[in-house]
Amino acid sequence: MPCDIVVCMKQVPHPDYLGKISLDPTRGTINREGMPAVINPGDRNALEEALRIRERFSGRVIVLTMGPPQARKALEEALARDADTAIHLCDQAFAGADTLATAQALACGIGKLEHFDLVLCGDATIDSGTGQVAVQLAEFLDLPCITGAEELTFENERSLLVKRIWERGYIKVRIKLPAVIAVTDKINQPRLPTVLGIMAATQKEIRSWNAADISADVSRVGLSGSPTRVSQMSEFHAKRQGEILQGSPEKVVTLAIDRLGKLEML
Amino acid sequence: MDFSLTREQEILRDTVREFAQRELAPNALALDEKGEFIRDIVKKTAELGLVGIITSKEYGGSGMGHLARMIAIEEFSRVYASLGFFFQTGQIGMYILENFGTEEMKKKYLPPLCQADLIIATALTESGGGSDPSTMTTTAELAGDEYVINGRKVMISLTPVCDLAVVVAKTGDRFSAFLVERGTPGLDTPNRENYPGLRGEPVGDLVLTNCRVPKSNLIGQEGRGLAVAISGIGAMGRTGVAGVGLGIAEGCYEVAVKYAKERELYGKPIAELQAIQYMLVDSNLEIEAARWLCYYAAWLLDQGKSPRDAGDEIARCKLYACNIASQVALRAIQIMGGYGTIPEYEIVRRLNDSIELFTAAGTQEIMKNTIGRSIVS
Repeated sequence: MPCDIVVCMKQVPHPDYLGKISLDPTRGTINREGMPAVINPGDRNALEEALRIRERFSGRVIVLTMGPPQARKALEEALARDADTAIHLCDQAFAGADTLATAQALACGIGKLEHFDLVLCGDATIDSGTGQVAVQLAEFLDLPCITGAEELTFENERSLLVKRIWERGYIKVRIKLPAVIAVTDKINQPRLPTVLGIMAATQKEIRSWNAADISADVSRVGLSGSPTRVSQMSEFHAKRQGEILQGSPEKVVTLAIDRLGKLEML
Repeated sequence: MDFSLTREQEILRDTVREFAQRELAPNALALDEKGEFIRDIVKKTAELGLVGIITSKEYGGSGMGHLARMIAIEEFSRVYASLGFFFQTGQIGMYILENFGTEEMKKKYLPPLCQADLIIATALTESGGGSDPSTMTTTAELAGDEYVINGRKVMISLTPVCDLAVVVAKTGDRFSAFLVERGTPGLDTPNRENYPGLRGEPVGDLVLTNCRVPKSNLIGQEGRGLAVAISGIGAMGRTGVAGVGLGIAEGCYEVAVKYAKERELYGKPIAELQAIQYMLVDSNLEIEAARWLCYYAAWLLDQGKSPRDAGDEIARCKLYACNIASQVALRAIQIMGGYGTIPEYEIVRRLNDSIELFTAAGTQEIMKNTIGRSIVS
């Protein structure tokens, strides 16, 4: 039976440029302007997993993002990586969304689809890293959700055994489709696009939907739908200070224990 | 004027960059020390469709074009120039087959060449020289339905590993090009040169002793072989070498910038010293200039210009990009002091690679001859 999979993705600053992100304390946002952007690495793992499932069961891989016009580039790259079709939720009404409002918009977008069996996301983004969108999305869609997924095993076409990280180990959870699953970067190594895939991507459809297209309540998306308020933000500066303890091994150990005790690290 | 890449070309650049980081960066130093042909890595590039990037879809390629190829070579060579160089040497023969070969040759050989299941070399140079074909002594004589080829080609890239070779030989007082398969009696590849640079790209001689090939292995018209070879060398060889030079320069520059930002002297990073900044500026400027010369030549070919008509632009990019590759490498060593020549910083490897570019696909002086003739004509 074909398995139609929605992959949610976010465009984030290129990992090489994360150190150049600056804060805008007055707006309570991070400034990503002018930085090269990429698909959030975890979302690429989600896409790769979707492609592997499609290879086994057939079906369609639909990539979905919410973001400004330039977020389209993430979808173009996903299509080059062999996704079938793409949907861009793009509207000023979506701007300033926190995780809840983002999940609300994504849920409205997915709700417009005729059919889907599975929603895959990255476990967290590298720019904000909350890891909340998948669970909030599942709540809005009224679907079961598993996060931290490191391995998906189909028991049959409607049931999955999911290996997920759990503190220092892992647990295996059985889940029935449809469901929302957030995957980690351990689950696979994403394939690279082929040259023919890159060329074919420009022929594939990217649908652009605004708030009205997905029947979104504008009071529940974007800034107006975001209960999160940033009260204060400040940069974290990590400083390292080295100290070489000298003397006999016994003396050094005693000194080390003393130092760590004073730092309240014991 | 629109200087922007297409979205396809941007994604290609990112893809090749990621490939280079995944497959080449962790092993470049070890690969170079080993000095063996990187067949498995070439095969992976073929699986992505990169080896067939200028070959038509009809013959198993993608036909994405010359600028796309230039970008790929640039990105490979930023990390490991031997792979970029393969796209120079290996694609000369592929270009020649597609543009001058028979339909049978194209259908038989181009699809496996695009998959890197076959490797093709192009053999023109002899011990008497490569720039002056009048010194060529390799001959091909028609005997019934076969040509009998005798001669020795030297310093030919890929001969130790090639499955096919385009061989240029004298037919009477003119030149003709032939396709010769490995395994043909009388064909031998006896040696491998031990060059200090581009060590992942084997180079050696191609010896033909009463080597008989069917008449159907003639590429193009008899007597037009030099035009065939020069067309391939212009479109693929010179542009490819230029792309390698550009990539080498970029790789050296990036190492030097990183080092200059981290290395402290007088209580601050040396990047804050103007003497260092000026060197970085010179490299930055040269790289930008080289990149646009390279892209422009490739773009002209994409617009349908023949290698002959774009000869000046191709010569300029080859001349300049190869010159600056060594300059930027030497400057990086100067910035990095004693660390610059430590193998782990991978500048010396790149410098060695850059030296090989001066004579590849035509010497720097031949490039000047081409441009000079155009100026005074």
